[in-house]
Amino acid sequence: MKEKRAQDPEDPVLPAVEEREVLLTGPEVGPGEVFSVPIGPIHPALKEPIRLTFQVQGERIVGVQIRTGFAHRGIEFMGMRQGRNLIQILYLSERICGICSISHPIAFTQAVERAAGIEVPPRAQYIRVIISELERIHSHLLWAGVAAHELGFDTLLHLTWRVREKVLDILEELSGNRINYAIPIFGGVRRDITPDQYPKVREALRYYRGLFDELLDAFLRDPTVEARTRGVGILEPKEAEELCAVGPTARASGLRKDVRQDRPYLAYSDFEVKAITPEDYGLTPVGDVYDKIVVRLLEVGQSIEIIEKALEGMPEGEITSFPKIPALLAHLKKAEGEGLGWHEAPRGEVIHYVRLVSGEESPLVWKVKAPTYSNLLSWYPMFEGQEVADIPIIAACIDPCICCMDRVYLVRNGKEETWTKEGLLRLSWEKTRRMRR
Amino acid sequence: MSGWAIFGQAVLAVVGGVIVGLFYRGLDRKIAAHMQARIGPPLRQPFLDLGKLLVKETVIPRTAVAWVFSAMPFLAVLASFTALLYLPIGPFRPILEGYGDAILVLYLLAVPALAMALGGFASGSPLGVVGAQRELVMLVSYEFPLAVVLVAVAWRLSTLGIAPAFSLGAMAQHSLWAAVGPLGLIGLVLLLGSLLVVTPAELAKIPFDIPEAETEIAGGLMVEYSGTYLALFYLADAVRTVVMAGLAVALFIPYGIAGALGLSGAAGDAVDLIFWLFKVFMVMVAAVTTVRVGMARLKVDQIARGFWLRITAVALSGLLLLALDKVVMG
Amino acid sequence: MKAEQVLNALKTALGENFRNPELRPRSVGVARKWTVEEIWAEVPREAIPQAVGTLKSLGPLHISIISGHDAREHIELLYHLAVGFGTEGGEVMVTLRTRVPKSDPRVPSICGILPGAETTEREKIEFLGVDFPGIPCRDHVFLPDDLPVHPWRRDEPELEKFLHRMVEWEKGHEGKESAGS
Repeated sequence: MKEKRAQDPEDPVLPAVEEREVLLTGPEVGPGEVFSVPIGPIHPALKEPIRLTFQVQGERIVGVQIRTGFAHRGIEFMGMRQGRNLIQILYLSERICGICSISHPIAFTQAVERAAGIEVPPRAQYIRVIISELERIHSHLLWAGVAAHELGFDTLLHLTWRVREKVLDILEELSGNRINYAIPIFGGVRRDITPDQYPKVREALRYYRGLFDELLDAFLRDPTVEARTRGVGILEPKEAEELCAVGPTARASGLRKDVRQDRPYLAYSDFEVKAITPEDYGLTPVGDVYDKIVVRLLEVGQSIEIIEKALEGMPEGEITSFPKIPALLAHLKKAEGEGLGWHEAPRGEVIHYVRLVSGEESPLVWKVKAPTYSNLLSWYPMFEGQEVADIPIIAACIDPCICCMDRVYLVRNGKEETWTKEGLLRLSWEKTRRMRR
Repeated sequence: MSGWAIFGQAVLAVVGGVIVGLFYRGLDRKIAAHMQARIGPPLRQPFLDLGKLLVKETVIPRTAVAWVFSAMPFLAVLASFTALLYLPIGPFRPILEGYGDAILVLYLLAVPALAMALGGFASGSPLGVVGAQRELVMLVSYEFPLAVVLVAVAWRLSTLGIAPAFSLGAMAQHSLWAAVGPLGLIGLVLLLGSLLVVTPAELAKIPFDIPEAETEIAGGLMVEYSGTYLALFYLADAVRTVVMAGLAVALFIPYGIAGALGLSGAAGDAVDLIFWLFKVFMVMVAAVTTVRVGMARLKVDQIARGFWLRITAVALSGLLLLALDKVVMG
Repeated sequence: MKAEQVLNALKTALGENFRNPELRPRSVGVARKWTVEEIWAEVPREAIPQAVGTLKSLGPLHISIISGHDAREHIELLYHLAVGFGTEGGEVMVTLRTRVPKSDPRVPSICGILPGAETTEREKIEFLGVDFPGIPCRDHVFLPDDLPVHPWRRDEPELEKFLHRMVEWEKGHEGKESAGS
């Protein structure tokens, strides 16, 4: 099926057939000669399509070319030019990415709220913070499992992903979905976290606190993991700063760079968030993959603390300034102005820019910047001089969320469903009912 | 023995070896799954996998050297099956005893690895080439400790008057543990340890599965193999597991329990055979399953250095201790 | 870092090239309120490298993104930069607006000063057709190399035709797909 499509001469969008041939052939190998190894766009090491072409000599990497854009969907174009109103764009923004699914709506709603002059009530700010931190836990655990899989250590993959189920259950309890929570709306949040849900959240936090040491032990004190990650994929602090790396990628190199600390937003100033670097674990930051694991695991601990404090200090009040959607839409239509909204997603800084024009439903300009965008350039120094065996773990260590970065257009599959939609929906409802008991 | 009798026994051994090999692979996956808190595939999964591979299309890449590419799976399977015929199985002597000895088994064990490497080189894919290079580096690294272990045990047994030397059948009838002194015991433990570390490397299992690294080179030297050829490599791998474990059993755990239970004749043989299957299973669990669940994959230079320096040192120490033991015991 | 500091430094360095500066405060926090200030200003395109250089001398500089849009008579680019990370509330967000005439869509590249700007400048090349002389690499980031249109321009008749063709192609293949699968 896919092959027929790729060869369709009228197809204006898909890349040409030569792409496939590159994967199959390679130049002759001579002693000491350099030859090309293509990784991607489809490859077990990569969870998303991206093409990395390496020039290798034996096992040493001597050059790399990175080609992105296989998952580009034109989301900004869809938002700006196809006549969508801001609430429809909010749904779009949520689906830019599945793993960091609340990061984009949080940044986007802040940008629009700045542009339109909408205030967010305190309780809504706290709820946004709680859901964001829960997402951070789930995303870092997911990454930890993926990194273990890249190293060939499947047992850790199964362990972390099983452990992650708890936070996904809590998110489902609070928002009704495991990803794409649809919580933020302009002026507040759509769902409240009611006091009878607090005990469940606290119980999940207790569970994670109990497991925390075990996780640290399994990852940081395992000899084979250390052998594979220490001194691998080094990003020096100077390089990280010049290439404007963000998130754990930058913090592992020792830069104390965290949007929640540097430019506080929502209720984060209440929690005095400090950027975590390997120094907090007693190490001198080198910027290798090991440091990145350290930073991400410690951030899980930090998120647990933040959620605990947020639950304790949860202010009373309404959850949105505009409870009625038509009133909100009318206000947004009249609004004129521009605004920037930012958020520290699990992968780094997410920033949205919006310019609204009075009388128009669609924004004039909508620009999205995902964290992996800023971290792309840091791949080059990380790959230099490393070995072919390290490619997957270095590719994975910046926690690439290519769909976030590409904001791409997925071509429909034409697959046959063995489960009908009704069947799946019923299955999902049953699970929620089971959890509510 | 008449040629036809040998042939009949060979067929029996090969068929039995295949069934046991695949069944043990299923057990390995099930146990690994339970160690990871999963349910795992059903025990008959490897049979289903093999069956499915046999009916799938076999693709030969345009850029491959077709005759080498196609011949290698058959070579691997033939070598593994032949190795099975030189292995003492349970209370029975090796079927082809007298036509070759332990040194031949060493070569036969190396042939499938070479065949896979050649297949990778011939596949025309850069990923296959990288995988094949790694397989050869690994092969060269672990062959030396393996040879040291085999030679050490065979030599010490021959000094005790067991003849012919290097005959696996003879080695399997006599246990070395009771016949050596304390120095020899330590030496034997070191040699057993080395063999258990070489076993997953020989079979290309984690932490030594770098030639096939799934997440790095998409299957490495196996990347272009599909259908029948992949099925044959799969079969060769299953049988090699039995052979390696059987080798460890023949060298270090040659005991039978029929005598202890007071059985003899056909009943004794049957019990001993089952016991042998159990021993092979335990060796597999210790050397392959537990290890692959508990470790990450090591890089090829780490493996090469590890084997050339550490494991060789351990094996040579074992050999040295056995030699000293001989001197001491006289 | 205080926003006032940054504002004054830019005024001193750029003089009259630093136009319409605004300090936009935002109040954040619930139990512990904090004020975050953003600087917004307009800078002519030749002065962009100088402005970025000035910001870099003030502290560690981070470029978030360059937004851009086609404003009919010209193209407007907004450089979203942040200077001075590392302490609580210490980073100041600076947005520099610049106009690029469509007759000569070029802006000097800042990759020499801040190598991390390469990805975002490359994105503007492919999406808006703006060139950045001095940029080390012009490869496309997201779009296919041979795409004939700049998707964010509003004045390209080619773009409308291209989109029209794409939608028609999709519709045409919808029928074929369900029949074939």
